[in-house]
Amino acid sequence: MDRALFPDGVERCSFGKFALWMVFILAFFLFGLYAMLLIFAKGIVVTGLDNYFGFGLWITFDLAVIALGAGAFFTGLLKYILKIDQLKNIINLTVIVGFICYSGAMLVLTMDIGQPIRAWFGYWHPNVHSMLTEVIFCITCYCLVLVIEFVPLVLEQKQLNKIPFLHHLAHNMHVNMALFAGIGAFLSTFHQGSLGGMYGVLIGRPYALREGFFIWPWTFFLFVLSAVGCGPIFTVLVCTFMEKLTGRKLVDFKTKALMGKIAGTMLTVYIFFKILDTWAWANNYLPSTGMTFDQMFYGIIYGKWLMFTEIILCGVVPAIMLITPSIRNNPTMLYTAGILDCIGISLNRYLFTVQTIAIPLLPFDSWHTYAPNWAEWATSGMIVAYGFLVMSLSYRYLPVFPQERGMNR
Amino acid sequence: MGLDRRGFVKFVVGGVAGTLFTPVIWQGLDDAATWSQNWGWIPRLNKGEVKATSALSKLCPTGCAVKVKTVGGLPFAAVGNTENPMSKGGVCPVCAAGAQLMYSPARVKSPMKKVGEGKYEPIKWEDAEAMLVEKLTPLKGQDGKIAAISGDETGSANEVLSAMLAGLGSGGGFHVMPGEMFTATKGVKLMGGNGQPGFDIEGADLVLMIGADALDSWGPTVANQKAFGATRPTGADATAQFIYAGPVLNNTASVCDKFLAVPPTATTAFSLALANQLISAGAVCPASDFGDYKALAAKFTPEEFEKATGLKSEVLKDLVAKIKAAKAPLVIAGASFGQGAGALDFVAGASLNVLLGRVGQKGGMTLLSAAPKAIASAADRENAKDAASFLAQVATGKATPAVLLVYEANPAYALPQAGDMAKAMGNIGFKVSFSTYMDETAAMADLILPAPHPYERFDDAMNPYGVAKPTYLAGKPVIAKPVMDVKDPVDVMLAAAGKLGLSLGFETYADVIKAKAKALGADFDALAAGGIWNGELKGGALSLGAGALAKAAPVKLDGKTVALAPVSKLAYGTDNLATPPANLLVVRDSELLGKDLLVQMNAATAKTLGVTEGNKIKLTAGDGEVKALVHVNEGVAAGTVAMLMGFGRSAWDQFTKGKGDNVYKILTVSDEAGTGLKVWAGSTVTVAKI
Amino acid sequence: MHGHVEREFKITWGMVIDLDKCTGCGACMTACQVENNIAPMLDASNKLRTLSWLLVFEMSNKKAAPDAEIAYLPRPCMQCGNPACVPVCPVVATDKNEEGGIVSQIYPRCIGCRYCMAACPYHARYFNWEDPIFPKGMEKALSPNTSTRPRGVVEKCNFCHTRFVQAKDKARQTGGNPDALPDGAYMPACAEVCPTGAISFGDLKNPEHKVHELAKGKNAFRLLEKLELHPQVYYVSKREWVRKLGDNYAATGKPGAEKKHS
Repeated sequence: MDRALFPDGVERCSFGKFALWMVFILAFFLFGLYAMLLIFAKGIVVTGLDNYFGFGLWITFDLAVIALGAGAFFTGLLKYILKIDQLKNIINLTVIVGFICYSGAMLVLTMDIGQPIRAWFGYWHPNVHSMLTEVIFCITCYCLVLVIEFVPLVLEQKQLNKIPFLHHLAHNMHVNMALFAGIGAFLSTFHQGSLGGMYGVLIGRPYALREGFFIWPWTFFLFVLSAVGCGPIFTVLVCTFMEKLTGRKLVDFKTKALMGKIAGTMLTVYIFFKILDTWAWANNYLPSTGMTFDQMFYGIIYGKWLMFTEIILCGVVPAIMLITPSIRNNPTMLYTAGILDCIGISLNRYLFTVQTIAIPLLPFDSWHTYAPNWAEWATSGMIVAYGFLVMSLSYRYLPVFPQERGMNR
Repeated sequence: MGLDRRGFVKFVVGGVAGTLFTPVIWQGLDDAATWSQNWGWIPRLNKGEVKATSALSKLCPTGCAVKVKTVGGLPFAAVGNTENPMSKGGVCPVCAAGAQLMYSPARVKSPMKKVGEGKYEPIKWEDAEAMLVEKLTPLKGQDGKIAAISGDETGSANEVLSAMLAGLGSGGGFHVMPGEMFTATKGVKLMGGNGQPGFDIEGADLVLMIGADALDSWGPTVANQKAFGATRPTGADATAQFIYAGPVLNNTASVCDKFLAVPPTATTAFSLALANQLISAGAVCPASDFGDYKALAAKFTPEEFEKATGLKSEVLKDLVAKIKAAKAPLVIAGASFGQGAGALDFVAGASLNVLLGRVGQKGGMTLLSAAPKAIASAADRENAKDAASFLAQVATGKATPAVLLVYEANPAYALPQAGDMAKAMGNIGFKVSFSTYMDETAAMADLILPAPHPYERFDDAMNPYGVAKPTYLAGKPVIAKPVMDVKDPVDVMLAAAGKLGLSLGFETYADVIKAKAKALGADFDALAAGGIWNGELKGGALSLGAGALAKAAPVKLDGKTVALAPVSKLAYGTDNLATPPANLLVVRDSELLGKDLLVQMNAATAKTLGVTEGNKIKLTAGDGEVKALVHVNEGVAAGTVAMLMGFGRSAWDQFTKGKGDNVYKILTVSDEAGTGLKVWAGSTVTVAKI
Repeated sequence: MHGHVEREFKITWGMVIDLDKCTGCGACMTACQVENNIAPMLDASNKLRTLSWLLVFEMSNKKAAPDAEIAYLPRPCMQCGNPACVPVCPVVATDKNEEGGIVSQIYPRCIGCRYCMAACPYHARYFNWEDPIFPKGMEKALSPNTSTRPRGVVEKCNFCHTRFVQAKDKARQTGGNPDALPDGAYMPACAEVCPTGAISFGDLKNPEHKVHELAKGKNAFRLLEKLELHPQVYYVSKREWVRKLGDNYAATGKPGAEKKHS
């Protein structure tokens, strides 16, 4: 019944099936929405956050999705600025994924702050010394850029594109897309770096603090590199997941492997410096504060295994897999490496967020543990559901995949 | 319609700028931010002139001389009165919460009469007073039919109460809550002396506290803390040593130079073993019973000491050396939780002062003789009878009062074997509670007559327990009109007495207090302005109490039972006052967790009892039982379980009701050999995991 | 450090807390709560949700009975000379910019992002989880010195800043010098109430104030000195185990050891 809205020459499932799918996703979304409204009404006292853990799942979630959404700016940079043309096959998807990630993160942030009505104070009363100010500036600006990048895709929808004004608008936006890609790359580099800087400058938190050269440029670039080391492959994973779900081929494997190669290269550079960074931190900085490596960890919940999982299993291993052509060119291995990669970077964001503040620095204080409660899970789930909704609608009605028509003939 | 590049840019820029030029967005954001600062449901501050008025804050047992700060006439904080020599600008944690307590949800807002089990109905004062007179009228002249329990140790209200009872023919009906003052005064008598013991901490250079929690909940806490503080100027050498011997590493012990973990069952043994060592080291004294005392102490050998206390005998040697080196040592004996120790623990500790020749000396133990009374027919303080023995008589039918007047006391909660005591109170036909707060006793009274908060009343304090010299404080209301519909209990009693044809010579409590001040030769106005009256010491000698001590019976523990050490922390409230709202934060999460109290024991004791950290346990003694969680705390003496007092409230307010359990339920009363007193400080309990 | 220039003040308000005199009685916490209008909490035993601008920690020497010792440590805001919290605030809701060196907190400005809480290793900052709702009538006992804060903002000790302003006003009215207040003219509620006099307060830079010398005493130390946040709150204890617990000394095992490098 909505066939007229489909992109040219492609097949989609029946409207009934689609509606059922949407209802399924909406259930998660609405549950999260309920939690969100409860949070706005009663405050974040309904969450599992507390005096020791002011940051928790939400901030981890934000940092992780912002890293995973980095595929958008980096692919844009490579496609529009460095002119790697093959990436046109997947560029639309990276934009949508980026848009979902960034807009979702912003929504989570409004819940996370205690006074959402004052969210705009970040612009009105900015503290230029604060990394968070930079983050607020850049991610809101970049989110706008993503909207601008997403809009022409929407306007290219078959029926909308028939309206001359919209057609011209979309065309003109395309013409200027290199400019936006450039702005996006610029903004993203800054805020990805600043996100790392957010922790790197915590002078009272030895787990995260880096001094001198190790904060600038070191930590900044570690965060930028880690984001571009997982963003592209995350887009590939999303694409492959969609292929499995819809049973249709959307992007050729060659493009996917190229994305894997890009991510793998970045990840390799990242993990090399990350290991150096960790070594220097453990052997130089920590002793200078009178603390030891062992003091940074506690039991299973904050155990050393987390750091080893992050750096070795989900860092070194996928890096090797992705830069080795024979492994990368095997689809199963590519996806496995991609999953490990994404887990590793997310874990990194978790450790910087939660482990950093879990360590009791006062020697007479004790370890406290944090577990997100239902309200945090539900709202985070809402963002995921929101992503599914946007992606489902985009897939069904927008010409996202230029290769789809040819590959499914 | 065509759109070229220029048109596109115009469209975008124009659209954005146009939106931004409308004031809607900016005004809306600004209004929203302003609104977020002025939510209607958040209380606003009060405005007006800020003043400080002197007051006697009898929220703690001693009473703090404070300055109440008011804004536009409304009290908001209590600060110390630097000019008052007792408090010297310090305030105890309970009195520091005084202003907020005026509006405690637990306050009784108007007179109430009982209309059913746990059901009350507000009534008018005239009806309430008529009811009181009506109940008392038929009992006039019948001995033993009217009884009273007072929880105020120092106020002249006791004179009015006891004189009224005497005038109505029930002269023996006046009882006090059995605090430290009660047992110590009996102890002094056993030592052949007279008067209330005092302790000159300020003048001592070594203070040995045996049980007495002198820096937190024993005696004039703030004065003691000030005296302690003065001996250790920050950044300089201490001028006095403080040593604590007691069952728990409590607040007092935490700042002492030495803590000796002595189980509550071994207090007398500790004192006498120390006496033995002091005598061995050459201590002699001219007291007539020195020979008997020496012989008695000799039985408390270092081996006996080790067995009784679980401590090494070296600590005793060390202690003897310190005492011998001191110029002005002082021993303060008292139950670690301020009551129930009986007289012998006191005598054993106080005898050390006699042995060391420290009675009546600067920095020693003093004796305060009875102060002149405002009402001649009032009972003498040193002849007071205790409420625990009284209620035990009520339980067995030996005493059969028809009316019980309870003044500033909470016997339903704060007497040992609390369950039995409350049951005994149930045997009394008509109970009247004069109380500021809806405490456990008010909650079972037939008539509740709300008393004013300290800032709303006249009150006084004669010789708070522990002060070194005769001391008198008095105060008047800080605010013009009480915030609840209350009347001063003494005024109510004087009026009732008048209606019953009994004149005590006064119409109001204020007049009684003024007469008291006059009898002392003090100026009431100066007292009410935050001053103090101090009298002269008359001297007096004491024996070593060997005769009484000879009868002391050692406590036997079997493998299943452990000694129970109730722990009192002033900040957490008193018998008469559940934890004030402003003090809830002070309670640690190693003491109270949600609704569960944590009892403390050391790891060795926990192992013996087969329990570990966090276990839920049941402690039983007699008919009473309490439930609690285990917290391992190495600051508790061997074979001892420590449990905080002041929890397990069944009345009061949402902040305190149902939190933790009441230790009084498992304190068991026994008769002290040779003194005729009831004791419960050496109670033992059985512990079982549940 | 990290582009943040530490500002010097002519007047530096500071505390010297004598841990050998603190009995842990809690009067300071109560006085603080009263002065700063902190509403009573139904379950104050959940320390992860309380507002304790001043918190008395219990320290233990970790020895078994009968050698166990404890000490109490009141922890106000350290008013660090090089605060970790100030540079991170995205909206300038906290600053250290006024003569006296007190780290401010502007409640109407705070958006409640809690970045400052994450930054502070002393846990001196608290998020206001719930609106300050007092039992009926108790709002009449609100202190005029501290505004009530809505939920959703971060709060902390400010050395009872209103008292500072009042002391300066009084000096101006009585012909004194507001920039050279005499010792004791300005006292936070906790220092004023303390029954043992464990808390000394004054201008660390004014030789006429007691704290000037006390802070330099041989037994004086600051918490986590190695992090170089330069707290304006000093502690004093003659007990070595207490001083050791003021910082992490894993590297050398000795308190007061020099920072190895960096």
